[in-house]
Amino acid sequence: MPRWGMAADLDKCTGCGACVTACHAENNISTVGADQAAVGRAKHWIRVERYWEGEFPDVRLKFRPVMCQHCDNAPCEPVCPTYASHHTEDGLNAQVYNRCIGTRYCANACPYNVRFFDFFNPSWEKPLHLQLNPDVSLREVGVMEKCTFCVQRIKATTIAAKAEGRALKDGEMNTACAQACPSRALVFGDLEDPESEVSRLSRSSRGSKLLEDVGTKPKVTYLSRQS
Amino acid sequence: MKAIYGLYGDGQSAQQAVNRLRAVGVTDREIVVISAQPMEEFEFGHMDSKTRIWWIACLGGLIGMATAFGLAWLTEMSWPINVGGLPVFAWWPNLIIIFELTMLGAILATVITLVVTAGLGRRSGVYDPAVSDGKILVGVENPTESRVRDLESALSAITGAQVKAI
Amino acid sequence: MNQISHQRINSDLLRPLFQTSWRFYLLVGLFGSVVLIALVAWLSQAYFGFGITGIRWPIYWGFYVTNFVFWIGISHAGTLISAILRLVDAGWRRPVTRCAEVITVFALMIGALFPIIHLGRPWLAFWLFPYPSERLIWPNFRSPLVWDFFAINTYLTGSVLFLFLPMIPDFAVVRDKATGLRKRIYGVLALGWRGTPKQWHRLESAMSIMAVAIVPVAVSVHTIVSFDFSMAPVPMWQTTIFGPYFVAGAIFSGIAGLLIAMALLRRFLHLQEYLLPIHFQNLGKLLLVMALLWGYFVFNERLVTYYGNEPSEMAVFWRTQRESFAPLYWTMVIGNFVLPVVLMGIKYFRTITGCVIASIGVIVGMWLERFLIIVPSLGHKYLPYTFATYRPQPVEIIIAIATFAAMTLLYVLFAKFVPIISIWELKTGGPSERMGPTRQHSSVGPVLLDRPRD
Repeated sequence: MPRWGMAADLDKCTGCGACVTACHAENNISTVGADQAAVGRAKHWIRVERYWEGEFPDVRLKFRPVMCQHCDNAPCEPVCPTYASHHTEDGLNAQVYNRCIGTRYCANACPYNVRFFDFFNPSWEKPLHLQLNPDVSLREVGVMEKCTFCVQRIKATTIAAKAEGRALKDGEMNTACAQACPSRALVFGDLEDPESEVSRLSRSSRGSKLLEDVGTKPKVTYLSRQS
Repeated sequence: MKAIYGLYGDGQSAQQAVNRLRAVGVTDREIVVISAQPMEEFEFGHMDSKTRIWWIACLGGLIGMATAFGLAWLTEMSWPINVGGLPVFAWWPNLIIIFELTMLGAILATVITLVVTAGLGRRSGVYDPAVSDGKILVGVENPTESRVRDLESALSAITGAQVKAI
Repeated sequence: MNQISHQRINSDLLRPLFQTSWRFYLLVGLFGSVVLIALVAWLSQAYFGFGITGIRWPIYWGFYVTNFVFWIGISHAGTLISAILRLVDAGWRRPVTRCAEVITVFALMIGALFPIIHLGRPWLAFWLFPYPSERLIWPNFRSPLVWDFFAINTYLTGSVLFLFLPMIPDFAVVRDKATGLRKRIYGVLALGWRGTPKQWHRLESAMSIMAVAIVPVAVSVHTIVSFDFSMAPVPMWQTTIFGPYFVAGAIFSGIAGLLIAMALLRRFLHLQEYLLPIHFQNLGKLLLVMALLWGYFVFNERLVTYYGNEPSEMAVFWRTQRESFAPLYWTMVIGNFVLPVVLMGIKYFRTITGCVIASIGVIVGMWLERFLIIVPSLGHKYLPYTFATYRPQPVEIIIAIATFAAMTLLYVLFAKFVPIISIWELKTGGPSERMGPTRQHSSVGPVLLDRPRD
């Protein structure tokens, strides 16, 4: 059984935001407009957090792409009253839109704030509606949504590999964000396979987990030289 | 005759009336006493006081407990879902559900027992609206013809009695 | 108890049922309109989308959950007075017991609406109920929100029954005094009650059992509501003190609500001979004790947080105490601690007016306390990029105000149709002070135990 995880190399991340755009495109995430975004309604399943450190002229700029960490000890899962948020066997934190009644407890419990609520029915101005991905369901108002590690791609590739009677190869399948990243800062793969790139990166001496002391056991390893 | 009864102004007179009825040979089961509040300071206020309602409440609680445990166990084990690494049947969280349904069971059992044993909702016997103004009704329902005279004299013997027959 | 007292009590306490003034219609019209406006507001939220509220990333709970916790807290008034004081045989509770229990039931009903009001898809709220579905899926019993569902429903059922059962003998009195349609309706409600010793004994036994049962349920309900917070790893939420802290706060706000209700009833229903200054003083002393207890819990919570000096917790700590939420925080401290301790602690101020002022302070303070638990923490969790502020929008404010209108409306309607002071319980108490006699149970036998009554 695979265990999906990611590695994000902060020394390579340029903050370009291609991952965010790719995620929106792949997962049918609507934009909400400038006014709504200003009041915190934007739904960036992956976001690039930008931090300024230091005083002028010694200012350093740091980028950190943050997406759902698919924690093994996810605080968002036990609190959902309808099992909409639960853990799958391959280590993903699943969000079942059909089962969500919108209590938003999961979002409050998430220390990474990577869960988003559909405040209005999502809409796409023509002709953007032609660009929607048929493999991903559209969410309606009142449900929570978040990064799924592109579960539609995982499923499609797994089914195809099974049909061909072979195992999945490392790098055969990628999340949209990792695929779009120009500097290959984001790497996705199977943590159960010790030879996969993501496994090797997760064992790197530059590696650390985000908010590790909260105890969530996240599956995204952030790599950066301690400077 | 449906009933013969007397209305008395205070508990002491009512107690005397009950005693006189007993002296004439009326059994406790046949005596009807009606008051606007519980008269626990008097002996007649304790007629028919044996009750198993506490045991029934405990039984209701046990049924509630079993229901909750069964609900949690069966539903969680038939479709085991991993949430946050918690065990599928976790005792600590399930104890809460078990506690609540235990209490609910006890409460419902108590109320149902009350309705049934107090005869609520059923057609009842003799009643006089003067009771609401503080009178205490002491009487006998469906008395046999032969006893009516004795009952009447027993009830009227206390001063201030208003004896009625319906 | 003589005839005159009986008739006097009956006529005094039944007067609101049989006489209606224009003020009643005005109150119902006024508060009813506010409630209707709030209903329209909520329906427009369901229609236009949840986005018309001020909820935003990452502050996903705001006014609605504040109101939820607040009203469930208010509901603990009745349990304390009806149940706990009944169990310790405190006779002075008699005139107060129904007023308190009514607050419990209506506050619970209002509070229990909010888990539906604040849902993203409220039409699916029934999924919280465990029923067998063709998809074989059940609610998550490990979730605090499902615990809420069970706890609040148990408490609501228990409280409604606890309120209704002692109303039965009073419905019998109304049935006897009324005529026509009213007589028939109350006759049905009285369930054929007569007042035999058997019925009284069963009723009192049932009430004792319910009193014993409802106290742990009440404690569990607000503890479970506190679990809605303490089960999440949010700074200043994940603390074990929330359980007892919330229960104490609930009883505190419940007493305050009860004092206000009693003062209003005394004034507008002319119950000056039944709701006496001693009742207010006794409850005022309880308010003082709860204020001190509240202060103790707050001190505990804040000292331990302060001492631990954990960065994300201290950020929230200072946010409430010094930074953007400081005005609200200090208002809360004045309302919850300074005002009640001064007014209720000094005998000179422990008058009916003093009690009402202190209680209003507590109501404001406790509402703010719920708000200050929820919003500052959610807006300032762990990652600085995600820090934000919450601005309540009109729909939330309208609904918050309407809850108070709804409470008043329901109370006014109740007092119109049911005697607000329990007639039979009052009569069971002693003559002038309505202090109950201690029960003396006899041994079996025709021994006359007599308490001289005037």
